[in-house]
Parts: sequence; structure tokens; C-alpha cells
Amino acid sequence: MINFEEELKKFHPSLEVEDAEDSIYHQDLTDMADMLIKKIVGAGQEIVRETPKE
Amino acid sequence: MFCYNCGCRLSEHDFCTACGADVSLYKKVMHVSNMYYNEGLEKAEVRDLTGAVISLRQSLKFNKNNVRARNLLGLVYFEMGESVSALQEWVISKNIRPRKNIAGEYIEKVQANAGKLESINQTIRKYNRALTLCQQGSTDLAVIQLKKVLSMNPRFVRAHQLLALLYMDKQDWERAERELHKCREIDRNNLQTLAYLKEVEQMLMPDEGARQQVKRRKEEAVRYQSDNEIIIQPLNVKEPKSGGVSSLLNIVIGLAIGLAAMYFLVVPAAESKIRNEDQQVITRISSESDAKTARIQELESQAAGMNESMTEIQAQLESYVGVDGTLQNTEVLLHAVASYMEAEDKAEGAATAAAELESIAGKVNLEEMTEGFRRLYEAARGMILPEVAANYLEEGNRLFNARNYAEAAVAFEQAFAYDAGNEEALYQMAQSYRISGENEKAIAAYDKVIELFPDSWRAERSQNYRAQLAGG
Repeated sequence: MINFEEELKKFHPSLEVEDAEDSIYHQDLTDMADMLIKKIVGAGQEIVRETPKE
Repeated sequence: MFCYNCGCRLSEHDFCTACGADVSLYKKVMHVSNMYYNEGLEKAEVRDLTGAVISLRQSLKFNKNNVRARNLLGLVYFEMGESVSALQEWVISKNIRPRKNIAGEYIEKVQANAGKLESINQTIRKYNRALTLCQQGSTDLAVIQLKKVLSMNPRFVRAHQLLALLYMDKQDWERAERELHKCREIDRNNLQTLAYLKEVEQMLMPDEGARQQVKRRKEEAVRYQSDNEIIIQPLNVKEPKSGGVSSLLNIVIGLAIGLAAMYFLVVPAAESKIRNEDQQVITRISSESDAKTARIQELESQAAGMNESMTEIQAQLESYVGVDGTLQNTEVLLHAVASYMEAEDKAEGAATAAAELESIAGKVNLEEMTEGFRRLYEAARGMILPEVAANYLEEGNRLFNARNYAEAAVAFEQAFAYDAGNEEALYQMAQSYRISGENEKAIAAYDKVIELFPDSWRAERSQNYRAQLAGG
């Protein structure tokens, strides 16, 4: 039996258009590749990662 | 694929041919990212949007620069009605690869239509408002808000789910099912949708097991073909035994049920219909009555207005033809002029006419009379009054010479009254009063002579006589 109150907690407010910019800026975009390169190259060295060009 | 160390294009080897860096693990990470992207694409193609989102997010966790995965993720979000999340992904994608990126086109399409962007924002605000209302317990208002949201953005899966949840809370299972089916049309494998749907279907068909049992029983039948006909003979059905009493009883019960149905269903419907018709007739008569009442009031106000107009017209008519009306005064004026012109004794005729002119002057306001009346009146006065004044002067002089000073004074006074510019009449009046011993009147008359005719010889004499009377 579904509990209405419990199910309601699963719903969260949507982000408004005005708040999208802040959200983008504060998004943590660190990926597995970043962590791997950091591990390989070592801390303190600049990582060169270029996006593929089409 | 490019080397993370020097940025050169990587070959099939596990090291960079330019800088020699080991890229085996890096390549694997990129491949995993691509694998998740492919998986996401496949899921999106079969409308498993939730699954596609999971796969594409995984793909981006391995390689944030996987522009295709990010663009597809944005597209999937957009399809689910999550427009802001879609825009976020496209903006990041555009930032990663500014040129030759389809995300730019998506953003432009959304931003080009200001109304569309505003509509997206409105939808989100209304959805958030509906969620707040749910949390506050105002579920009815929340349902209204969500319906508005879905009218603006029918693909907003979360809104459909929330609306379905609200319907489920109200035990409106049919509507909840409808909303959940709409969710499934957009996103087939959303776990939340599926869980709700299962609950709803259980509520709608609680005896599904029993039904299946019945179905199975129905299937327990013998089928065989006789010529061209298929005969189905059920196995567990017994022919009811016929009984006269029970049949009669059944007929009676049937009749009773029929009569009851008639009484409870047909009669109230008929009564309701008659009541409705009566109500319509009453409404029609009432509206007609209102219209007639309004018409009567209008006519009454018109009649009152006409009565007022009639009273005004009567007053105007009275002012023309009444006792002191214009016509009457005109008649008196004409009579005065005629009597003056026709009189054999001019002096007497002039006196009569002057009296009539004076009576007209006392009754009418000349400013309100017609121009013709005024002109005739002024002409008559100019012609008659000086003559009357001259007559009185002559009479006064005669009486003065006959030493009848008191009557002479009255005659001179009349002469001066009819001709205010008659210096002689005024002076002689003063003399008559002085001689007859009425000193106060004499002084008043001398004063008038001095005031009105200051440069005449009579004024000089008046000064002397006045001084004598004042001194004596």
C-alpha cells in the first residue's frame, strides 16, 4: 500500500529558469577521467584535456 | 580521442605516440563513457527515458566532455518536461564545445520564443506551488494547479505522477490510472509510475483472481462441431428444475422489482422533468413580467415628463393671455394710445392715457416684454407724458395766478412728475409751497432745483429763498 506522505517526500521542487545559471556554476563536473589523470600525473601538475573537435 | 598529457590525437596503441604517456586506462574510461552513451541512446529510442537518463548520467560521470551524451541527456530531460534541466545540460555542452554543437540550436530554439521560455517558467512555478500546496494539505488546490501545469506542458512526467498520487490519495483510481498511463506513454519504465500503476490496478480489480477462476470455469466446456455449427456444452452447469410455484414466485418478485424500479427511477425522473418545465415557464413568465414592468415604469416616467411640460406650457400661456399677461398689457397699451388719439379733449385724453401707461409700468417688467411692445410703450410715453406735464403746468400757473397756491402746488407737482426735466414746474411748485406756508416741502423743492438745474437763474433764486426759509 502506497503511503501518500512518504511518496510526497520523493517529489522535490523544480529548478526555475532564473536559478539555472547559479546551478550550472555550482555544478561539480569532476569526472572519472579527471580523477584518473590526477592519479596518473600527480597532484600539482596541469592536466591537458581537450575536447574532440568535429 | 586526444592525449590528456599533450593533447595529441591518440592512435590504437596504449601510449601516446607524441609524449609517450600511458593512456590505456584513460582509453578504457572513455570507452566506458561511450558504452553508457550507446546504452542511453538505445533506451531513449524505446522511450525508456528514466533508464536513458541513468545511463547518460553514468556516461557523463566517466567523461564530462562527452558532448553527445550531454546533448542527448538534455533532449531526454526536455521530453520529460524538465526544461530547465535540459537547458542546463545544453548550456554546459555549448560551453564545452562552442562550435558545431547541436545544443546551440536547441538553446536558440527555446530562447527565440520568449513566450515559450516564459511558459516554461510559469509551468515550473505552478508545479512548485502545487507541491507546496500538497505539503500543506491543500490537495484540491494542488490538483487545480497541476491541471494548469499539464495544460501548459502535457509532457511533464513528474506533474503527471504527482497528480496521479493526489488522485490515489482521494481514491479516484480511474483518474489516477489515466494519469499514469499518460506517464507511461512518455516514459515507459519509470519505476515510480510502475509502482503507482500496480497499486491502482490492484484497487481497480481486487477480484482479479476470482475473475480468472471464473474464466477458467468457463473454459471448462466441451466444444464440438455439428455440420457447420460449433456446439459448446458446459460441464458444470445444471439445468434448473422447473417448478410452477417457484416460477410464479419469480414472476411476482419480478413484477414487484419492476414496479419498484418504476416508482424509484421513472416517477422521480418524470416529476423532475415536469418541475423543470414548470420552472422554465415560471422563468419565462417572470422575465416577461419584468420586461412589462420596466415598460410601464418607462411610460409612467414619460407621462410625468409630459405633465410637467404641459404645466410649463400652461404657465407660459397664462403669462401671455392671463389677467396680467402680455396680451392684456398690450391691449391696455393699445387702448391708451387709441384713447389719446381719438379723444376730442386732448388734455383729458392725454391724462387718461398717461394713467394707463403708469398702470402698465407698475405691472410689467419692460425687459421681459417684446421689442415691439417696448418701442410702442416708449413712443407713447414720449408723446403723451410731456403733453400731460404741459397741461398740468398750465393748470398750475392758472391756479397760482388765482392765488390758490395749495392746489397750484399739487398741479406743479403732477407736471414735474410727468416731465422730470421741467424746471419751471419744479420751481413753481417750490414757490407755491413757500407762499402757502409749507416751508419744509418748499425747501425740499428748492433743493431739487439747485441740484438738478444748478446753472439756471431759478437755482440762484432758489438759493435765496431757501436761505430765507432756513433762516426764518
